[in-house]
Amino acid sequence: MKRRNILRLLAFDVVAPLGAIGALLAIGVVLAWPLWWVSVCSVLVLLIAEAMAVDFWLLRRDSVSVGTDDDAPRLRLAIALLCASALSAAVLTGYLHWTRPDRDFTRDSREVVQVATGVAEAMASFTPHATTNSIDTTTARLVPEQVDGFREQYKKNGAELAERNVTAEAATLSAGVEALGPSEASVVVILRVTQTSPGQPTSRTAPALRVVLTKRSSGWLVSGVLPINSR
Amino acid sequence: MQDDDATGPKLSRYGVVSAFLGLVSVAAVVFGAVIWSTHRDSAGERDHLSRVMGAAADWTNVLINMNSGNLDASLQRLHDGTVGELNADFGAAMAPYREVVQKLQAKSTGRIDAVAIETVRHEPASSPEPADAHKPDVVAVKLPPFATRTDSVLVVATSVSENAGAKPMTVHWNLRLDVSDVEGKLMIAGLGSVK
Repeated sequence: MKRRNILRLLAFDVVAPLGAIGALLAIGVVLAWPLWWVSVCSVLVLLIAEAMAVDFWLLRRDSVSVGTDDDAPRLRLAIALLCASALSAAVLTGYLHWTRPDRDFTRDSREVVQVATGVAEAMASFTPHATTNSIDTTTARLVPEQVDGFREQYKKNGAELAERNVTAEAATLSAGVEALGPSEASVVVILRVTQTSPGQPTSRTAPALRVVLTKRSSGWLVSGVLPINSR
Repeated sequence: MQDDDATGPKLSRYGVVSAFLGLVSVAAVVFGAVIWSTHRDSAGERDHLSRVMGAAADWTNVLINMNSGNLDASLQRLHDGTVGELNADFGAAMAPYREVVQKLQAKSTGRIDAVAIETVRHEPASSPEPADAHKPDVVAVKLPPFATRTDSVLVVATSVSENAGAKPMTVHWNLRLDVSDVEGKLMIAGLGSVK
């Protein structure tokens, strides 16, 4: 056999079908073998194996295979197309099911901590003459269901604190992700809250808060801020 | 087939397209390998972090369940789980905790409320920072010998001691644990209180 025929035999009769089978199995691995793919994959692999068997049987009988048959260039093209599309499908599946979620996870874990510390600091801080502007920036990062409750709470607490002329300043000491899912997250934030009021010694506390977040179309929003161990 | 020549200009139109598809297939295999290996890395990272959280929780569980009755055994278990400077200065590092336990003379039980991988840390400054200054500080931890990496874990816990006749006393813990990977074993390399 000429070198060219050996190469064609290798490429079209051996490597291409095995590549297609490999791609189908790889898709199964990425999808973690759901039942529908188990059945689709076994049918397709069986078809390919069958075609290979027939091909090699013909090679023995006529000493010409799909790869070396000069009268069947279209069939070769079809095989190359099949192999290339199976492998591309495997890469696409891998990208959609592995690469993108992994990237989202990394980005989300940064974002949730940022949003959580910002909201926690804003909620624990208080200045007697707060502008509505600063409240609005906080409410923009809350889920809509929580906004009214927060405003009410802020007004109630605010009136009391303003009467005593208390200023509370909160800064994040430490924060980290407790749990993170595709659309829910829980972040632990430890704040340092410094309360000052005229004529009173400065008081300093370090409350630990659990900030629960939900992913909405606009990004991560806070759905609850709860003290982890109420003092 | 007599005139076939691998180097001759015999590639038909179909042959050219097939060769192109072959290149596409090779590229797909390369991309696939890259996707697989990066996914393995990030899955391994997530797995490592959850093991780190587990190790920190286990260790803290011993710490917050120390009683005057099991003080020595608990301290031994805690000591065995540490590495590096914390291991060397274990006695000194444990002094405040030992004090707390001795104060809580009676039967006390601890409960872990939250465990999180610390990603933002601000060292307590003498004057509190303005609320909007949260640039993520670099968390730099000195690696103990033989450790490949160290992660900081926040553990929030509560322990309640029930003294006979007296009011139950509650102790809150905001702890920061540095967990080091020493040849595959997770050891506590640092312990601090966040306040």
